[in-house]
Amino acid sequence: MTSLLLQSSLETLLIVGAASFFSVFLGLPLAILLNITSPNGLLPHSIFNHALSTLVNAIRSIPYIILVVLLVPITRLMVGSSIGTFAAIIPLSLAGILLVARKVENSLRNVDYELVEVGLAMGASKLQIISKILLYEALPSITADVTTVIINLIGFSAMAGAVGGGGLGDLAIRYGYQRYDFSLMIIIVAILVAFVQGIQMSGDLISRKLSK
Amino acid sequence: MGFTFTNLAISVTDLRTTYVSEQGILDVLNGISLSIPNGQIFGIIGRSGAGKSTLLRCLNGLEKPLSGKIYIQKKMLGTKQSHERRKILHKIGTVFQHFNLLSRRTVLQNIALPLEIMGISPKEIKIKARKMADLVGLSDKYNSYPNQLSGGQCQRVAIARAIVSDVTLLLCDEFTSSLDPETALEILSLLRDLNQRLGITIVLVTHDMSVIREICDQVCVLDDGKVVEIGTIESILLRPQHPVTKSLISHLFTKDLPRTIHETLHAKPLKNDHAVLRLMFSGKTSSRPTLASAIQKFKVPLNIIAGNLGHIQEVTCGSMIVTLPLQGTPKKDEQLPKLLDYFQTHGIAAEILGYIPQP
Repeated sequence: MTSLLLQSSLETLLIVGAASFFSVFLGLPLAILLNITSPNGLLPHSIFNHALSTLVNAIRSIPYIILVVLLVPITRLMVGSSIGTFAAIIPLSLAGILLVARKVENSLRNVDYELVEVGLAMGASKLQIISKILLYEALPSITADVTTVIINLIGFSAMAGAVGGGGLGDLAIRYGYQRYDFSLMIIIVAILVAFVQGIQMSGDLISRKLSK
Repeated sequence: MGFTFTNLAISVTDLRTTYVSEQGILDVLNGISLSIPNGQIFGIIGRSGAGKSTLLRCLNGLEKPLSGKIYIQKKMLGTKQSHERRKILHKIGTVFQHFNLLSRRTVLQNIALPLEIMGISPKEIKIKARKMADLVGLSDKYNSYPNQLSGGQCQRVAIARAIVSDVTLLLCDEFTSSLDPETALEILSLLRDLNQRLGITIVLVTHDMSVIREICDQVCVLDDGKVVEIGTIESILLRPQHPVTKSLISHLFTKDLPRTIHETLHAKPLKNDHAVLRLMFSGKTSSRPTLASAIQKFKVPLNIIAGNLGHIQEVTCGSMIVTLPLQGTPKKDEQLPKLLDYFQTHGIAAEILGYIPQP
């Protein structure tokens, strides 16, 4: 039983870890793109901004379990199979990317535009303004966003079981729900709570350290 | 005049900008032409909405003019992103109303920002940033964050940041309005110091004539996106021509009026009212006993309410607020115009501010 719990915990860490990485890696550029092309951004482009924003919203409004099913062909194309731990990472990453994009876009929007103007008036390039002013000032807030997204992804990962992805959530459903093993379910819930607490606490700590 | 042109920090010709709103297209700047010589402290004043901030934002490239040309140190400031444009902007510093410091950077790191953007080596940046912090009087605050500083200290950081890249031109946008009067005076004297020690040309935008009076050499009055008056500080303060200039100056002095008078002041004379006059003294007139001789000549019981004699930079000048009872009916007071004439011929600019009931 312990080995089962350990294996499931590792699976959850792998799925959520990998999905979190992709979420930040691809979600951040998307957030920057959304921010700078907005009407008050550095590179306003209303058509592009509108299209991108609509697309993000559309995909975000799909319930996660449906998204998993919808993505089956793409998942199969990317990892060669639509079931298993690696297959679970694809839909989870997509959900995470979009969450990060929206949340971070909002954080970037909260950076006072007057600070951007400081950069512009100094003759800074757009890339310098994004890195030295926008991202830099928003970093504590972005850290908090990423923390929230990771916790969301832990919740979503319970549905990885639908594609045989494994993980703690999957174990809880199979043993706790389908086999009425209530005590095992309590243990799993406790582990998940510990995961979430740990992530939230370290996220808060980093965010606090970063903000001055 | 090739010679004077070579000495110009800023030259602006026929600058026009518009603002697109839901009501339609509004003209903000309506053909502004200006020249500002190097080494000056130049004030731009006007009521809100006159376009003064827009003008400043054109000078530091934040606003793109519809037409017109801007030359900074003889180089044209284009509207397209380019290496040349950025190089011009590197040499212009801007101080903003709300300081606009990066909250996650220390004093030194904030000051260093323009140098980082210019790609200067970290070692050199450190030396320069320290030097600037010392120059603005923050040598004990190197590693403080903006939220640990007072408003005046924040503005000092902002000034240090604005001039750290050896700028030749410093633009200040309403930068005293978020400071208390005393701190504002300190910051103004810091600016004058920088102007004299480093020879930086300073352009400052304000709606407050007292800021202009404090440090400017020249002043230009904007109204409705046009330059309505331009001249030396003495000529503008002592001989204002345009109504807007007059009203901005009168604000400077009604500020000095006692509250009781300010509250009862009205524009049309009533029976038994007293007239409130503002007398402006300048240069040599202030040494003559004109006031005493006027009292003797016209037998008017002039009552001095407020006085403010001092210096506008090097010229002795000042103002005095006096009241005197109206004679006869309010519509046909014969003595008042004569008195005003008398002052005028003796070099004192006299103006009726209004009327108050008999005290």
